[in-house]
Amino acid sequence: MATERDRAQSGRATREAAASRAAIAVRPEEFHSGSGKREKVFEMKGVRVDYSGVAAVKDISMDIHRNDVTALIGPSGCGKSTLLRCLNRMNDLIPAAEVHGQLLYHGEDLYGPDVDPVQARKLIGMVFQKPNPFPKSIFDNVAFGPRILGRKADLDATVEEALRSAALWEEVKDRLEDNAFGLSGGQQQRLCIARCIAVQPDTILMDEPCSALDPISTGKIEDLMIELKEQFSIVIVTHNMQQAARVSDRTAFLMVELDADEQSRWGRLVEYDETEKIFTNPSDRRTEDYVSGKVG
Amino acid sequence: MGPMVEQTRVYYQEELEQLEASALGGLDLVTDALERTVEAVEQQDVELAQQVIADDDRIDGRYLEVHQSLIALLATQSPVATDLRLISALLHVLKNVERMGDQCVNVCKLIPLTGNEPPADAEMLGRIVTMGGQARTLISQSKRAFQERNVGLARDLVRQDDVVDDLNRECFGRALEIGDDADKREWAMTMLLAARAIERIGDNAVDIGEQVAFIVTGLFKEFEDASHPDG
Repeated sequence: MATERDRAQSGRATREAAASRAAIAVRPEEFHSGSGKREKVFEMKGVRVDYSGVAAVKDISMDIHRNDVTALIGPSGCGKSTLLRCLNRMNDLIPAAEVHGQLLYHGEDLYGPDVDPVQARKLIGMVFQKPNPFPKSIFDNVAFGPRILGRKADLDATVEEALRSAALWEEVKDRLEDNAFGLSGGQQQRLCIARCIAVQPDTILMDEPCSALDPISTGKIEDLMIELKEQFSIVIVTHNMQQAARVSDRTAFLMVELDADEQSRWGRLVEYDETEKIFTNPSDRRTEDYVSGKVG
Repeated sequence: MGPMVEQTRVYYQEELEQLEASALGGLDLVTDALERTVEAVEQQDVELAQQVIADDDRIDGRYLEVHQSLIALLATQSPVATDLRLISALLHVLKNVERMGDQCVNVCKLIPLTGNEPPADAEMLGRIVTMGGQARTLISQSKRAFQERNVGLARDLVRQDDVVDDLNRECFGRALEIGDDADKREWAMTMLLAARAIERIGDNAVDIGEQVAFIVTGLFKEFEDASHPDG
């Protein structure tokens, strides 16, 4: 059993660790301050995404704050994945997709003429629904990004740090040369998170990262998100409302809107607020009906 | 909402409605217990008092049954938003119902202590009977406010409860001037305890009103802060 002194010391160690983390990532004004003062990672104003000229989402105006987990929820077809993919220019890869409106990343136009989408995606990483490791060893998966970027010094340390951050190191440290496909689904997903972290992004986008995982693996990823937000900003799309409630600081609810003659439909933002507010006392009746599962 | 929207989780909604009805039905049980309690005081009816004490098991049973079902609903249905606030409020209401039932039992336990003589002072008895009637009004009003989610009606409980509080103070005053007769004094002291118990029933009804406001507004705030009455 831990003695009183052990406990006091471990408490102090935790506080010191927290203090040193805070010193590394200087973000003095954001704790417990009103959302208005928080540092913004993304600022969206009137964002609209068209596929072949037809709007998939429109009128999206919202800010995403640094070191928050921000959840996007809503029924199928509401455009939450489309919106997520705007945030690191993944929609550029779909020829018919066009993004309109203003989307600032740390105050700079993410779609500005000088922005290299590949550079942007380095800073804004993405984790997908199905774990998608490369058919390579565990080590090479994580080392892939740094090698491409020419960051070959201390590669072992980089890989270890990324795997530790992704809470996978202890499970794989003795078999780094094994093929990544030998890992379980949950481990593969954490490997993908490690691969994403290894290129030192600032933001991680997650598109339904747990929907292919069992509850234990899901719990590990959720714990991981809460740890990772100390260093990164996270935006997650999830169908699992309880997951949004468990891990996110703020939640955006999108829903499908139909035009008068019901010929076209698009996604729009209904409510965006503190997650606690969304799940205890949402302002909009439609949010209430969706989060309490009264409509599907 | 658009035409593609359809109602889901029908069984869950039905169950929640039924549990609300059962919890609020507990208030009817309390009303019944209070009526008989006041009658037992008025008639000095020890037998009736014992029946009220025995029947309190029904109120406790209702508490346990609905409480268990609400916990099961929390565990299995992950209620949020208004549903979550409703369930939280119902858990409070159940506790209030159980406490009000216990207060009736407290009064009924006093009745054998005052012997077999008829009530010693008509004025004080009258005030206690009036208190009982007013407490009944509070209970039924709290139930209606809950059913209707009517914050105005819930807030009005404070005003109604002031009547009970005033009567309670008057009982105290009356007991002070009841005179030198030892039996009469003993009866009056015992009746002060009864008045106090009924006064607490009124407070429980006000608490239910506060839960109504919580369901509707999402903010919990006491209507009146007993420890800072002027703040």
